[in-house]
Amino acid sequence: MKQMTKIAAMVLFMMSTQYSQAQKVYATKTGQIAFNASSPIEKIAAINNQTDSKFVGENGQVVFAVLIKGFKFENQLMEDHFNENYMESTKFPKGDFKGYITNIKEVNFSKDGSYPVTLDGNLTLHGVTNKVAATGTMKVAGGAPEMEGTFKIKLKDYKVEGLYIGEKIAPEVAITVKCKYQ
Amino acid sequence: MKKIIISILLLGLIGGASAYYYAFVYMKNRKFDMVNAEAASVDASVLVKAYQENETSANASYLDKVLLISGTVSATDQTQMGERTLTLSSEDPFSGVMVTLDSAEAASVNVNDQVKVKGFCKGYLSDVVVTNAIIVK
Repeated sequence: MKQMTKIAAMVLFMMSTQYSQAQKVYATKTGQIAFNASSPIEKIAAINNQTDSKFVGENGQVVFAVLIKGFKFENQLMEDHFNENYMESTKFPKGDFKGYITNIKEVNFSKDGSYPVTLDGNLTLHGVTNKVAATGTMKVAGGAPEMEGTFKIKLKDYKVEGLYIGEKIAPEVAITVKCKYQ
Repeated sequence: MKKIIISILLLGLIGGASAYYYAFVYMKNRKFDMVNAEAASVDASVLVKAYQENETSANASYLDKVLLISGTVSATDQTQMGERTLTLSSEDPFSGVMVTLDSAEAASVNVNDQVKVKGFCKGYLSDVVVTNAIIVK
C-alpha cells in the first residue's frame, strides 16, 4: 500500500511538473529575423537581432515583433533606401506576427529533440495585415526551446512599392526566423 | 566634333565609376563615427516614460537619433550573433532600455553599474531599443 502511495505521488509530481512547464511563457528580446530579397543582379539582405518574441507553452499562442529601423544591411545606402523609400519606417516603425503554433501539443518541452511546428497567424508590415502560414522546427535542449523557420511573402501584398522591385529587388522575399527562448 | 563625343563619353565613364564607388564601396565600408557624433542627453527612465505615454510623439523626438542615455544596468546578455547587450532600468520594472553594444566596444560593464551609453534609438517594443552603442566614460 505504501509502495502504491509513493508511485501515485511520483506520478502526480511528474504530471504537475509537466503541467507547469506547459503553462510557461517562453520569451526572448534578442531573437533574430533576417530577410533576403536578392535578385540575380544584387544581394539585398538584412538582419535584425533585437526581435521581441513570446509564446505560451500550453496553447502555442505566439508573437514576434521587430522594429523596422533595427534591420542592418551590409551597405548603409541600401539601409537608408529600405527605410525611406520602401518600408517608410518612420510612418510604420514596427512589424509583427501574432498567431498560434497549431501543433504545440506535439512538442515535449521536457524531452530534448527537434519537433516540426506549424504557425498560423497574421503578419503586419508597412501598415498592412495578411494571414500567413509557416512551417519550422522547435529544438528543445535542456528545457530551453529554439524556434527556426522560413517563409515567403510578396511585397505587393503589403503595398511595398518601389522602382527596383522586380528588377534589382526580388518581388518575393524570404523571411527567416531564429529565436532562442528562455 | 570627335573631341566633344570623346569628352562626353569620358565624363559619363567617370560619373558612372564615381557613383558605383560611392554606392557599393564607400557606403559599404563607411563606419558611423559614434564617438564624435552629436547626441541628445536623456535619462533611461525619462526615455521609457516618454515612449509609454505617447509612442508617436516619442518617435518624433528620438527615433533613429543618436542619444546619450544615463542609467543603471539591470541586466547584461548577448544577442544570438554574440553582440553584448545591457538593459538600463526605468521606474517600470517590466520595461527598460535594451542597448546592443557595437561589436568593437570593449569596456566591461556589470549589473548595478551607473553608465552612459551613446547609440541609435530604434523605437519601442517591450523596451526602448538602442543599437550600435558605445560606453561613454
